[in-house]
Formats: sequence, structure tokens, C-alpha cells
Amino acid sequence: MPEFFSDTVALSRIQFALTAIFHMLWPVLTTGMAIYLVVIEGLWLKTRNLDYYHHARFWSKLYVLNFGIGVASGLPMAFQFGLNWAPFSESVGDFFGTVLGFEGTMAFMLEASFLGIMLFGWDRVPPIVHWISTILVAFGANLSTFWILSANSWLQTPAGGTFVNGKFVVEDYFKAIANPFMVNSFLHMFFATLETSLFVIGGISAWYIINQRQTDFFSRSLKVVLAIAIAIAPLQIFIGHLSAEQVYHYQPAKLAAMEAQWETVPAGQSADWSLVALPNDKAERNEWEVKIPGALSYLLELKPKLDQPVQGLKEWAPQNRPHMVGLIYYSFRIMVAIGLFLAGLMGTSVIQWLRGKLSANTISQQKWLMSAWVFAAPLGYIAVETGWIVRCVGRQPWIVYGELRTVDSASHLPAGEVLFSLLGLTSMYVVFFIAALYFGSRIIRRGPNLELPAPRTITQREINIQPAQHERDRRPVEAQQ
Amino acid sequence: MEPLQPLQQFLPQVWFFILGLFLFLYVLLDGFDLGVGILSLTASSEERRSILMTSLGNVWDANETWLILMGGSLFGAFPLAYATILNALYLPAVIMVVGLILRAVSFEFRENADSKLVWNIAFGVGSFLAALGQGFALGSVFEGIKVDEAGHFAGGIWDWLTWRSVIVALTLIQGYVLIGSTYLILKTTGELQKTHYKTATIATWTTLVGALFITISTPLISEQARTQLFTAPLIYIFALIPVFGLLLVGLLLRSLSRREESTPLIYTFLVFALSFIGLGFVIFPNIIPPSITIYQAAAAPSSLVFMLTFIGFLIPVVLSYNIYNYVVFRGKIVDET
Repeated sequence: MPEFFSDTVALSRIQFALTAIFHMLWPVLTTGMAIYLVVIEGLWLKTRNLDYYHHARFWSKLYVLNFGIGVASGLPMAFQFGLNWAPFSESVGDFFGTVLGFEGTMAFMLEASFLGIMLFGWDRVPPIVHWISTILVAFGANLSTFWILSANSWLQTPAGGTFVNGKFVVEDYFKAIANPFMVNSFLHMFFATLETSLFVIGGISAWYIINQRQTDFFSRSLKVVLAIAIAIAPLQIFIGHLSAEQVYHYQPAKLAAMEAQWETVPAGQSADWSLVALPNDKAERNEWEVKIPGALSYLLELKPKLDQPVQGLKEWAPQNRPHMVGLIYYSFRIMVAIGLFLAGLMGTSVIQWLRGKLSANTISQQKWLMSAWVFAAPLGYIAVETGWIVRCVGRQPWIVYGELRTVDSASHLPAGEVLFSLLGLTSMYVVFFIAALYFGSRIIRRGPNLELPAPRTITQREINIQPAQHERDRRPVEAQQ
Repeated sequence: MEPLQPLQQFLPQVWFFILGLFLFLYVLLDGFDLGVGILSLTASSEERRSILMTSLGNVWDANETWLILMGGSLFGAFPLAYATILNALYLPAVIMVVGLILRAVSFEFRENADSKLVWNIAFGVGSFLAALGQGFALGSVFEGIKVDEAGHFAGGIWDWLTWRSVIVALTLIQGYVLIGSTYLILKTTGELQKTHYKTATIATWTTLVGALFITISTPLISEQARTQLFTAPLIYIFALIPVFGLLLVGLLLRSLSRREESTPLIYTFLVFALSFIGLGFVIFPNIIPPSITIYQAAAAPSSLVFMLTFIGFLIPVVLSYNIYNYVVFRGKIVDET
């Protein structure tokens, strides 16, 4: 192991992976939940049913906890390119940096500024202004997803310019932004954040229903979740499929790693789909595997025989193809399995809903279904993280696919310095992860405050009784809850 | 070297100004955030501390975002500077990031915790570390970063730690405490406000001492600053900055002793603005002092135009909704628990 501790590139990669994986946990919930909050607040404004207002207040408690950690863990992401990947930053900054600048100015600032009004402004602005703030928060969050995914897709399928002496010279910015992977990658991530947060909200609601706490109140949020998710869960599988087809065309080495396919399957033959395998990087083969005959040709081209060959990993020299094949192979399978499970759960729940089994007085009898929802709550996170592992470990050894190698992109820092920051961040993240779980579950165990009066009603009453106090700031009351 | 075309000169200058603006807004806004955070370590009771925290609740996310804006735009407009400066300032940047994470996360955890002690300390210490890291970074950019001909970092990992960068860091912390105190004077009443008149007065003096030291020692030590500052026409501007600075500090101290509520914050803002202009003049036209200019570090003109088209017109919009946020939450914080 001592060799590893003195390898700056490996340490920098681990640090990037760690900070990205940790950061991802928080915005993945807030971006999706913001859309849910827009819907629930819209329902409150339309129906004036206090339940919806209490839902908005309750879920935004979880929202703010996640948002704070998301902002904080995003900071190392914003600076890490310069800290640990200085040659990379210099080489592609003209485009990549521009996009990150856009993300900050157009998207993130919008989200962060209107968050204040969304969380604390209920009594300070008219309801419609509050709703617009919530919409702007949701819009900002998802615009962030767009820019980040555009930048990352560009790393996968660089377009819009050429590399001259190792420096990327942009010729067409719009082409670079709308690079081949961009549309599907953005949609896949957009639906992923939405699906993850819907299943978190649904899972927590199901937990209350199982425990017979405010069953009526939480069957309402579960149904809103169902109504939004009906289309999303199957659509996500479809977009995921399109993304995999793009990988087949643009990054065949990644596809080979995803399938642990060492040998090329020539055109005109049928390709098997591997279900379970034990890939061995060194021996360049799978120790054993279970295959479904012909399934891969159907998955890729919807035909029994392939039009194009599926290239095997051995087509590339070891230094030109991804390693850790087992990690990529299983990450992909875990992601797909979760996607299918969530869509299945979705379908089952909709059927039960249509059969009238989800009404307030019968819903708590659906023990199995509700337990499945609780079980599903963390699955979205796992699918997102494993998906990103496939995407980014699978594109190695390139940092910019086919153009710039990861090895050549790391800052020449003393390994000890990187190790220092890596250990510091790791220990901090472990503590914060545990604390966030603790405080999140605490918010859930305490439950919603159903006594909370509708916004802007207290102030009016007080004007009548004590005119001098109408300018009081009410935030501390809520902060203490 | 070929003579620069007017556009190749103008665009980097515009971006130098925009980045300066972002950094200035960050220092002002997150400055009072961090200052209040550091002051929270000295709060005598939980009620007082909770008012301090409440005063930040709705604004800290947006304030911290200015730093992300700065980072992203620097990356896009001056990729070489982004790469080299962060590479050189690895440790101070890590200290800053760790501090900012610590305070942000403690802020949210504290709201939900029964026993708040750990998170209170983490919040204050995080604020302090963030300010310290920024101070060291500022100090060492001021001192100059060792680079090779291509502009890549060529120094050692401890280059940022000098006795002068220590003084810059301490001064910045004092400055943040000053701006935090004057913000709290605006947002609080009674005993709490009285306390912060005191801390603001003390912080004014300590900041003044540090600022005087930096102002006097910079031309003494830096060859470049000397040639830059002591030739016409800049010498006039440079001569005016300390005069105005001292005048503003005088006004600030007077407003504090008169127990005015909003003017201390305004004067503090102006003092910061003036220091910033001074700093800009010392560094310009370099972006990695002492040798790499903004023209060398700039992205291609087409990139700068592209960024300017999309970011430039958004700046007034971003400023407007940030101001709106402050307008919505104007007025005093009252603890009702």
C-alpha cells in the first residue's frame, strides 16, 4: 500500500470521487423535491386546504437540511478542478469553466436567493410571490442540473472545437453545449432527481401510514407522489435505454466494461447478455458467468443478429480501456435493477389506487405495499451513485474522452498534501453523513406541525390587538420548532 | 511579444472588473456572515446566539454563492489563473473549504439539535477557519506567487505562510468581525445591540492597525507596487485612498459613539470598497502577481465575449433579486422564545 499513498493521481481521483459521491447525495433530493414543493404549494393556493400548506412546511424542513449540506459540499467541487486538476483546468477552461460560470450565475444564485423567501418568507410576502419564489428555486435547481450535465457530457463526447497543442480551442459554443450526450444525459439526471425524491417522500409517507400516524394526511402526499411519478418511472427506463445505446455508439469501450465483454461479437451474430459474472481484469476474462442467450442483440438493436459488432475489451490495449470492470459491471446492473423495481412498485401502487385500496381508511391495510415503499426510499440514491460510477469510471483512462488523459491532468502536488485534504474531508463527511441521517430521522419522527396557522393570519390578528407589534419578525418561532 | 489588439486588451479588463465585483460582493456579504459566526463564539447565552443565527438564516446560502460564482467565472475567464492560484494555495483553500463546510452544516444541524453546544462551537470555529484560509490566500496573492515562464506554479507548499500573510489574515478576520458587528447593530436591539457597538469599536481599531501596516509595508517590500503606485497618474489615486480611508474610519467611529443604527454598516461597506479599489490598483494588470498579466491568463476572446453575453446582462438581474431578498427581510430580529 505505501506505493498507493505516494501516487498523487490516484489520491486526487479518490478525492474527486469522494467529494462528488458525497455532494451528489444532497442536491439529488433538493432538485427533485423543489418540483414537488411547487406542486404541493400550488394545490394549497388552489384548494386552500390547510393540509397542503402543512405538507409544504413539513417537507421544506427536510429540504433545508439537505440544501445546507449540498451548498457546503458543493464548494470543494467548485474549487477542486483548480486545486487538484490544474493542467486539466488550463486545457479546457475556455469551455468547461465558462459552463461552470453559467451554472453559478444563472442557476445556483437564483436557487440560493429565493430559498430565503421560500423558507422564511411565508408571512412576509403575498402567497403568489411566495409561490413564484418556490418556482424560481425549482427552476434554478434544475437549470443547475442542465449546466452540470452539459459540462459532464462534453467530457464524454467533446464537440464544438479542437485540441491544439493540448489546449481546447472552441469554435462553436452552442455545439459544445449541445454535445451528443447532452440531451439524454440531462433528461436521465432530471428524471433521476425527481424519481429519487418522489420515492423518498413516498417512502416517508408510507412509514407514517404503517405506524398509523396521521394516516389521512400522509396518504395525501403519497397520492401526489403517485400522480407525478406515474409517467416518470417508465419514462426513465426508456431514457436510460437511449443513453446506453449512445454509449454503444460513442464509447464502445465503456459498453464493453458495462457488459464485462472481453471478446468481440462480430456483426451478423447474436450477442448474449450477461446476468451475473466474475470479471478478472488481469486474466482478461470472466471467471464464471450466467448469460441470457441473444438478449444483448435485442437490447442494443432490437434484432436477433447484430448489424454492428459489439467490441470486446481486448480490442483496446490495457492502457486505453477502463479498468475495475467488476465495479462498472455491477454498478450498471444495480442501477438497472433499481430502475425496474421502482417502476414495478409504481405500477403496482397505481393498480391498487385504481382499485380503491388507497383511500384513507383502507390504506393502512396495505402493509406489504407500504413496506415496499419504505424499502424503496433509499434506492434512488443508490441508483444515481452507481449510474455516475458507470459514467465516470467507465470513461477512463480519459478525462476528456479520446483527447486528454486523466494521468496527464492532475496537479503536480506532493502526495502528502492530497492525502492530508483527503483524510480531512473523509473524516468530516463520515461525521456529517451520520449526523444528517440522525437529524433527518429526527425531523421525521417528530412529524409535521398540524397546528401551524395559515400564513399571514397571525400578523393580521395582532395588528388589531397590538398595533405596535405588527412588524415583528416571526422567524425565531419557526427556527425553534 | 506582439502588441495587443484593443479587443484583447479590453475584454480581459472587463472580466477583471467583473471578477473584482463578484469577489467584493462576496467579501462584503459573506464577510458579515463569517463575522457574525466568529462573534457567535462569544455570545453569552443561547437566546443571544439564536438571534445571531436567525439574522443569517435567510441570507447565508446566497452570500456564500458569490464565492461559487467567483470560482466558476474565474475558471472560465482566466483558466490559467484559476489553475495556478488554486494549485499554489492548496492548503489555505482546503482550510477555507473545510471551514465553510463546517459552518454551513453546523448551522443546519444546530436548528435540529437539542444539545446545541457541539454545533455552536463547530459553527464559530468553521467561520473562523474560513476567514483564516481566505486571509492567507489574500495575503499570499498579495505577496506574489512563484511561477515558471508558462505561468505554472513553481513554488513550494508552504509558500503562502509568511509573517506578512499572517498579518493580512488577522486583519481580514478583524474586518469580518467589524462588518459582522455593524450588521448586528442594524438587526438587533437592546443589550445585544449595545454589546456590538463595543465589539464594532474595538474591531475598527484593530482593523485600522492591520490596514495601516499593510498599506505602509506593501510599497516598502514590493518592487512592483512601488513602480506601479509611485508614478503618475496612479500616485494621486494612491495618495487619496489612505486619506479617504482615514476619513471614513473617523466617520465610522463617530457613528458608533453616537449609537447610530444603519450608518456604521454603510461606512464599513465604504471602507471595504476603498480597500478593494486600492488592492485592485496594486494587482492590476496582473492576475497572478508578480508576473502573469490578465492578458496572458485570459481565455480566448470568443470565450470572453460568449461569457459576457450571458453573464454580463444577468448581473443586474442577480443584484436586483438579491436586494429584493434583503428588502423582504428588513427590520429587527426579535427573539420571542
